[in-house]
Amino acid sequence: MKEIRFGDYLRANSVSQRQVSYNKLAPKPKDSKKVVLQKLQVSAKDIYRILAPYTSVRFMEQLKAVVPLAVYLVLFQILILRQGVTDSVIIGGGLFAVMVGLMLFMEGLKLGLMPFGESIGNILPVKSPLPIVLLIAFLLGVGVTFAEPAIGALKAAGQIVQVEKAPYLYAILNQYSDALVLVVGAGVGLAAILGTLRFVHNWSLKPLIYASLIPVLALTAYIGIFDPELAKMIGLAWDCGAVTTGPVTVPLVLSLGIGVASAVGKGDSSLSGFGIVTLASLFPILGALGLGVFISATVTPEQIIEAAQNVGNVSSVVPWYEQTPWVEVILAVRAIVPLVIFLFIVMKLVLREKIRNAFITSYGIVLAVVGMGLFNVGLTYGLAKLGDQSGSLVPAAFTQIAAVQDSPLYWYGVGLFLALLFAFFLGFGATLAEPALNALGMTVQNLTNGAFKKSMLMYAVSTGVAIGITIGVVKLIFDLQLMYILIPGYLFLILLTYLSTEEFVNVGWDSAGVTTGPVTVPLVLAMGLGFGNATGVIEGFGILSMASICPIISVLVMGLVVQKKAAKKAAKVEAQKAEASDLGTQATA
Amino acid sequence: MSYQQRNFTVLTECMQITCIVEKGQGDTIVKAAREAGAQGATVYYARGSGVRERLGLLGVAVEVEKEIVNIIVSHDQSDYVFERMYMAGQLDTPGKGFIYMTPLEKAATFIPGEVLDKIEGRA
Repeated sequence: MKEIRFGDYLRANSVSQRQVSYNKLAPKPKDSKKVVLQKLQVSAKDIYRILAPYTSVRFMEQLKAVVPLAVYLVLFQILILRQGVTDSVIIGGGLFAVMVGLMLFMEGLKLGLMPFGESIGNILPVKSPLPIVLLIAFLLGVGVTFAEPAIGALKAAGQIVQVEKAPYLYAILNQYSDALVLVVGAGVGLAAILGTLRFVHNWSLKPLIYASLIPVLALTAYIGIFDPELAKMIGLAWDCGAVTTGPVTVPLVLSLGIGVASAVGKGDSSLSGFGIVTLASLFPILGALGLGVFISATVTPEQIIEAAQNVGNVSSVVPWYEQTPWVEVILAVRAIVPLVIFLFIVMKLVLREKIRNAFITSYGIVLAVVGMGLFNVGLTYGLAKLGDQSGSLVPAAFTQIAAVQDSPLYWYGVGLFLALLFAFFLGFGATLAEPALNALGMTVQNLTNGAFKKSMLMYAVSTGVAIGITIGVVKLIFDLQLMYILIPGYLFLILLTYLSTEEFVNVGWDSAGVTTGPVTVPLVLAMGLGFGNATGVIEGFGILSMASICPIISVLVMGLVVQKKAAKKAAKVEAQKAEASDLGTQATA
Repeated sequence: MSYQQRNFTVLTECMQITCIVEKGQGDTIVKAAREAGAQGATVYYARGSGVRERLGLLGVAVEVEKEIVNIIVSHDQSDYVFERMYMAGQLDTPGKGFIYMTPLEKAATFIPGEVLDKIEGRA
């Protein structure tokens, strides 16, 4: 009799496996020849199986950022304001273009541009002396600003401004729009230089913040007090700071900075990633204000109005390159190609490195250009249109507006409350959905050993942004001067910065930069402008700048509270220990 | 002295199944394995290459970062779990991953006392 294990019997019965020797599949060992494997033939089903999860994951990311916001705006419009969405098909198509465009752009960025940034960051500081590294950091800062998708929102916003009411603002956003992006880029470039130097010398962020805030605030106060015509662009200048720190600038500039830091041997500080974002949102303000002063010194408002009216008369026939799909594609090419050429030149001439995977890199660049073009189309027809529409309808809740029948819809107090509530939850939801905030929360939690929880930071920042947007809307409703909110706010921040520890200063100031992604910025900008036009305010800028300052305040205050609690706890533990040892000595005695 | 008195049981007839999949897919594999009877899983992160380089442009869609799922099962259930994991990960598609199984000499972990008693006929 032969014994068989029941398990072996089950295996033989239940599983039908065909066995093939790997010897037959693997390439035969040949004498000293390099083995080259063939390219695989893939069936249509396999292509689907590979591509479906790849695209759906990336599409869902953008869907999560866009759809809840859009649904919120539309529901508010229908349920509270009782207005249908006009051009809903165009807006829907535009939002779809935004999602697809951002998806392609982010993937192209990852495949085409990031590898450049990483290898330059790793190799450049080793091969080149510091002045050349700083020069390249500066040029990179300028280049990435042009490639930032949200920058297009500024140009789109320029079309809504009325030239008679704010001539300088109109001029900056139209005739001088390229100059504006250039000075903003120069600001980011300067920030990149200072940020890199900070990495190398391990500077504290606090003096840098004081040193850059004081001139910005001084210039703002000067313009606000002495030049009422130019004061209308203060909101725009401060909003520029929020626009610059997006998905292109932050990783590319950071990778260079971190590369430098590790080359000098100081890369292991847990804070090395922070600070550049802060500076990159302060310097552009200075640049934009400076440009305003320059324009006011060279042209008079009358000249601008005259020029704008002439332009209006001439351009009755729009040439093909200024019509919809083409103008966006040209903008996209102009935004990305210079950056690519610059990176390429640095790789080839300065570093003399080969481009690895040239095929995939060029595919990534094409994706980035196509994605940006689509995003620009969607920006104009989806985000900006929807934001403008909501913004111009919300005031109907409390005041009379020509476009809405039987407005005001509610009593003044109730309507005002509803409008502010709308702004608050818009800011709260949009920020909480921002993926960069989640990442920042994780970093902070690790950095503080769990004292500052991730959810706590996320809620602190979101509440900050929500309050900021609400204050921005209040500013629009009552036509307040932005200067009188910004300057006390930042003076208070200087005090908070002085009181807080280095870690919280780094985190708090950077949290302002991460909250303003490529979906939120255009939407909020357009909403503010539409709101401003509906209530008859001269300019609708400034909401973004309020959305930048408030989260810094909320995070720093939260940080101080956490610190105080931790200190109290530590003191309590100390006291208990002391008591215990007292008892111990008594017992032994 | 004391450690000799502690109960120390070694398991034999163990099989180790290792499955390498794209980052983000690990949980699907673990879920399938658990439903097929595996009692636990270890997941760790790695970076891999192979089919990705041979797919041309399509290779872009294959994630370079991987998750490695490590599972210990009994000899008898191993083939069934192996098959379920293979199916759950769609490993018959290029670039989706790799799975292998090796016998283990012995393993040890926490075993509930009553289970031991039952097996050894002391209950």
